[in-house]
Amino acid sequence: MFDTKEIRANFPSLNQAINGQPPIYFDNACMSLRPKQVIASMNEYYEKFPACGDRSFHLWGEEVTKRCEKARSDIARFINAKSEEIIFTRNTTEGINLISHSLYGEKESDNLPVVITSDKEHNSNLIPWQLLEKQGKIKRVIVKTNKDGTFNLEEFQQEIAENKSGKPQEKNLVSLAYTSNLDGVTNPVEEIIKISHQNGFLVLLDAAQTAPHQKIDVKKLDCDFLAFSGHKMLGPSGIGVLYGKYELLKALPPFLVGGETIADTTYQTAEFLEPPHKFEAGLQNYAGIIGFGSAINYLNDVGMENILEHELKLNTYFDSQLKSLESKRPLTILGPADPALRGGITSFLVEGVDHHKIALLLNSTTNIMVRSGSFCVHSWFNDKGIKGAVRVSLYLYNTKEEIDILIQTLEKIIKL
Amino acid sequence: MICVIAFLVFAFLGIFSVKYRQLAKEAFACVFKRMTLRKCDTGFEEKIKAQITGRLLKRSTRLAKIAEKLYEPVAWLFVASFFVSLFFVGRGAYYYLKFGTCNPQSPTSCPFYRSATPLEKVLDIYKCPQDPTK
Repeated sequence: MFDTKEIRANFPSLNQAINGQPPIYFDNACMSLRPKQVIASMNEYYEKFPACGDRSFHLWGEEVTKRCEKARSDIARFINAKSEEIIFTRNTTEGINLISHSLYGEKESDNLPVVITSDKEHNSNLIPWQLLEKQGKIKRVIVKTNKDGTFNLEEFQQEIAENKSGKPQEKNLVSLAYTSNLDGVTNPVEEIIKISHQNGFLVLLDAAQTAPHQKIDVKKLDCDFLAFSGHKMLGPSGIGVLYGKYELLKALPPFLVGGETIADTTYQTAEFLEPPHKFEAGLQNYAGIIGFGSAINYLNDVGMENILEHELKLNTYFDSQLKSLESKRPLTILGPADPALRGGITSFLVEGVDHHKIALLLNSTTNIMVRSGSFCVHSWFNDKGIKGAVRVSLYLYNTKEEIDILIQTLEKIIKL
Repeated sequence: MICVIAFLVFAFLGIFSVKYRQLAKEAFACVFKRMTLRKCDTGFEEKIKAQITGRLLKRSTRLAKIAEKLYEPVAWLFVASFFVSLFFVGRGAYYYLKFGTCNPQSPTSCPFYRSATPLEKVLDIYKCPQDPTK
């Protein structure tokens, strides 16, 4: 385990007073805070070698290229991938859109390829497939999750068996959240991938909520594509990663094209580079890449197992305290009752109290920052007829004392 | 109705300080929706209420609870008082222009009372000078 006090000292945003009180940040599922090591590495880029990489042979250009390629290999090692399988994107959304555009660029004349998602996906893993379906390029299948939010493997197996008669392996796709941002449930992805491959489906995992909190081994998982974001794992905004098996990336046409993606051009032709550069058009977010690499190193130093253990312990404590408020006013926790199945996330509703009001009052009373609303999973909330909820999402710098303040404030709010 | 009060307050404060002008704009957006008989869904009223309730909650849950119940009635009271006051000010101004006093029933009680009405003074300027030969 680690010393939370020591960790917190690394985060400048936590060491300030707002209206005389410290900030209490519980919106990590949206964006995490950044340690000074990450900030320093980005400042170093801007102060010492603010040039473009992969182009120029001068001092600064070479330094940028070296640092970025080091970040790429650090990130690759973080998920047990090869460097050439790591594509830098802006975020998870861009990674998913890259796959949706590259895999389904052409309209098929017969036997539409099938894309299977669940009923609890972030809009970024819903809308790209909705659009493709409207364009007549795919057939979309939605697998309903269980009432407690856990993945329904039986229904998934049924749907996949019924729909495997579409295009062969290179076009059928299962695209799922590895961990849900709504209720923190981690899907049984190893089983899902095994069933998908047996039935000729590729698998794309939205790992935005997994990579910051759990160890990922893409080789062990054998997933075909995996996307995650830097800003949810202590890294800068505007940087993310799409992992893809090298042979698959090689066969995919590029998404965005232009400089950086080509080896040579004539007026009529373009000779594209090999992955990952084929998919990295234009000048890159060099400060972001370097910062992301620094974030990965920070997480490695702390230890992913330690982070998960810390979050589970805190969330279990929060769960028990939250449930003790039920005697004051009925409340509902979304997802499984067992907090161990929800990672570091707890989303809840309080009967008779608007979720936005709870968030506003937590903020104005004790600087507690939570998310309220539909968490970009509007489809699920609309289907269930729920207006919205409050989400508390924890990370390595949160403490038991912060949870106590949250519970005390929540108690006052529900008594109003 | 809080948005109406908030708009009046922030618009006035916005004359002296830039930081209130954005709030005045937000309040106005809410007022406009209310005036066109639509629900104010900008979240502005909730934000203002939460700011006030939050501060009270730090001191006393009971006080915050009372405030929560009283927002709308007090806001309506302020808005009604505002329009009633506006009516009396307008009426006073009309009486002053017409009679030289804002209270014709008791002219000297008006602090702005003068012997000649402003209208008469204005007409005096345009009177033709009297023919000295007649």
